[in-house]
Amino acid sequence: MSVSVRFRFSRKGPVRYTGHLDMLRYFQKAVMRSGLPARYSEGFHPHQIMSFAYPLGVSMETEGDYMDLDMTQELGEEEMLNRLNAVMNEGISVSRATVLKDNAENAMALVAAADYRVSLSGDTDKAADAVRRIMEAQEILIDGGETKRGKKKKDPKNIRQGILDMHIEEDGSLFMKLVSGSAMNVRPADVFDKLNEAAGGGLYTECICRLEIYALRDEKLIPLADADKKDA
Amino acid sequence: MDKSKRKLALPHRILMEAEKPARYTGGELNSVMKEADLVKIRFCFCFPDVYEIGMSHLGMQILYGLMNSYEDVWCERVFSPWTDMDAIMRREKIPLFALESQEPVKNFDFLGFTLQYEMCYVNILQVLQLSGMALYSRDRGEDDPIVIGGGPCTYNAEPIADFFDIFYIGEGEVNYRKLFDLYEEHKEKGYRKADFLHDAAKIEGIYVPALYDISYNDDNTVKSITPGYDDIPATVRKTVVKDLDGSFYPTAPVVPFIQATQDRAVLEVMRGCIRGCRFCQAGQIYKPVRARKVDTLMRYAEELLNNTGYEELSLSSLSTSDFPGLKELLERLINMCNEKKINISLPSLRIDAFSLDVMNKVQDVKKNSLTFAPEAGSQRMRNVINKGLTVENILNGAEMAFKGGWNKVKLYFMIGLPGEEDEDVAAIAELSNEVAALYYDTVPKSERQGRVTITASSSFFVPKPFTAFQWAAMNTPEEFLRKAAHCKTKVREQLNQKSIVYHYHDASTTIIEGVLARGDRRLAPVIEEVYRNGGIFDAWTETFSYQRWMDAFESCGVDYGFYIYRERPEDEVFPWDVIDSGVTKKYLYREWMNSKAGTVTLNCRDKCVGCGAGSFTCGICIQPRGGAA
Repeated sequence: MSVSVRFRFSRKGPVRYTGHLDMLRYFQKAVMRSGLPARYSEGFHPHQIMSFAYPLGVSMETEGDYMDLDMTQELGEEEMLNRLNAVMNEGISVSRATVLKDNAENAMALVAAADYRVSLSGDTDKAADAVRRIMEAQEILIDGGETKRGKKKKDPKNIRQGILDMHIEEDGSLFMKLVSGSAMNVRPADVFDKLNEAAGGGLYTECICRLEIYALRDEKLIPLADADKKDA
Repeated sequence: MDKSKRKLALPHRILMEAEKPARYTGGELNSVMKEADLVKIRFCFCFPDVYEIGMSHLGMQILYGLMNSYEDVWCERVFSPWTDMDAIMRREKIPLFALESQEPVKNFDFLGFTLQYEMCYVNILQVLQLSGMALYSRDRGEDDPIVIGGGPCTYNAEPIADFFDIFYIGEGEVNYRKLFDLYEEHKEKGYRKADFLHDAAKIEGIYVPALYDISYNDDNTVKSITPGYDDIPATVRKTVVKDLDGSFYPTAPVVPFIQATQDRAVLEVMRGCIRGCRFCQAGQIYKPVRARKVDTLMRYAEELLNNTGYEELSLSSLSTSDFPGLKELLERLINMCNEKKINISLPSLRIDAFSLDVMNKVQDVKKNSLTFAPEAGSQRMRNVINKGLTVENILNGAEMAFKGGWNKVKLYFMIGLPGEEDEDVAAIAELSNEVAALYYDTVPKSERQGRVTITASSSFFVPKPFTAFQWAAMNTPEEFLRKAAHCKTKVREQLNQKSIVYHYHDASTTIIEGVLARGDRRLAPVIEEVYRNGGIFDAWTETFSYQRWMDAFESCGVDYGFYIYRERPEDEVFPWDVIDSGVTKKYLYREWMNSKAGTVTLNCRDKCVGCGAGSFTCGICIQPRGGAA
């Protein structure tokens, strides 16, 4: 029997300086410790069938990232969460576990948008005005990077359409809702750089935290945990 | 205390500048947090190399776990900041800190270095300086941490003796508790560092180098080593865990987030080695051979896997094939691990029918290469070094492996062994050819999957203290390279040369290692000079500079050839004669003579050879054996 489960997890504090591949290794070991009935791949080198919705960059915190795991047995959400949380390192925990319907799409293909909270420091009184200017602009151009062979620079990209929302929260942090996925992928660090540019410099951020990852269903953004639920 | 709430020593912008910030943030699974106010001793344990290397070291995990099992002690870790972070910390004037509490090393009671190889010596100075401490013990104050060294290099730590307050000789499990009790006692009654060190020197295994006076002869050899007080021993005897099976084992080791060199659980099955290979220091200094019970090991294995989540378990010892309960242990481990989808890795296993059968059961079906360590090419040389592996052993093992589907073989050799002739070097090429030819004789053409690959590697031999070769002269770099070139030419002359890849190590690193291995206290200024001229991470080819060492020898007026190119006479006093490893100099000299005669000595399971380790009255030394016990 095979059942796919989508875990929603958070990562806070010093552990945020871990890279994506190290997080993958971390979760593989955590699953081993938890005794969850992971399903293994066939073949010469059996491994857990685990995938992540969205690689977490070094230094990014998260409150709502997703990891999919195949298991050989279906268990209740509470039991799965308890077993994993019992063996977690401080700073990392799982908050939801949803059993997916058969033939669910893989998490990475589903990603359509994500929310971020960006800590602000420096000349923060200039932030609100800069946010307004970005939201009013038709065009926000970022460096297009280089072509695959690294010979030519690509044309600058307009990411304005990818910024779905941006505002200053009551606690002074910056909230952003950004488009993600293969067609357009807006990185929070790029948007912050543009904001700082619009503010004339002097803004700093020490921590970007991803709050939620969304899939697009019927033209509505819904949290990944609620997409492809088995009994939905 | 919650690891996720710790305040990091390095600010965000600096961490983001580092190549791998997670080397400096700590907080790993099973790392230990304590309330600083509730402990009496803060011990900072340093492996003076990069994090990924240090975290792969079992000895550190043992002492970390053991010390943290003491309620009054908090043991933390620190590693050499890699070159990028080294530069940043100097630029920003950030003092070196321990990973757990992120507090400066300088605030600790003890700073303990594990000394695993000579080429890390410059990194000790790096750690001391980044911590804001004086390099020389004599220049440090009452408030500075006690700097203590342990591990194999302490069997001759004289070249770095002036930088240390204490060397712990032997296995740390035995007397660290005593040392801590003494420290607490002194702290309570009014601490003076000199008094504490004097009292510490009375504990078995504790060597306080400053309390021993070295005098030299006109020819630069050591004349005498004299203790400065009547109430400290003339020689410092190593400590040995008598009951290995009952001793502490770290079944909840720290699990790094970043991939360490050893990304697996390690099960130490045995300590010591029955084979008296004459070049091998580990074989002498870890005597007597002591094995754990299979039941104990099974319990540890289960706990280890549950506590870490590793997907691989590695058996560790100097020679796992000699572990008495190996068959039973492997049967039980295979049962347990297959169920849990865990791979078992078996380094240092002799290749024979049994081990090949086991490997078929435990390792990925993808057949990795097999390793043999003949150490020398000719049987004559193997007798000289007392390596009990014969051509028949190797060819039989290889034949079985080839039949079993393996087609990659690694062969390890040494060049520059005492008494070596060019034909012994050529024999490396001939043996490699024989193994290759065997493949084509054994495996029919239709079943071959391409060509067989024989990878022959040779390192250059370094004579080490407490071995039969401690009297031996080393080859010069020119001789090393000439011999390696000769070997390469001979490889090219072989019929199956296309199937043989030959590598050799760097000769210049070997020379420095040789000088440091058998050097004395007059080398401290040289090491300091190398460090002051930018030498760190000498164990890494990209950062090592031979010229920097040559310049330092010159400017310090030290003739380094004195330490390595002489064959030493029988009656020479060695700098390391202050250490009593149990193994007697008389026995080692007998072995040196046997080596010159090409006489093989039996291993200590077959017959006691009277090495002196019997005085520890434990392990194999008190078990009935063949021959005179």
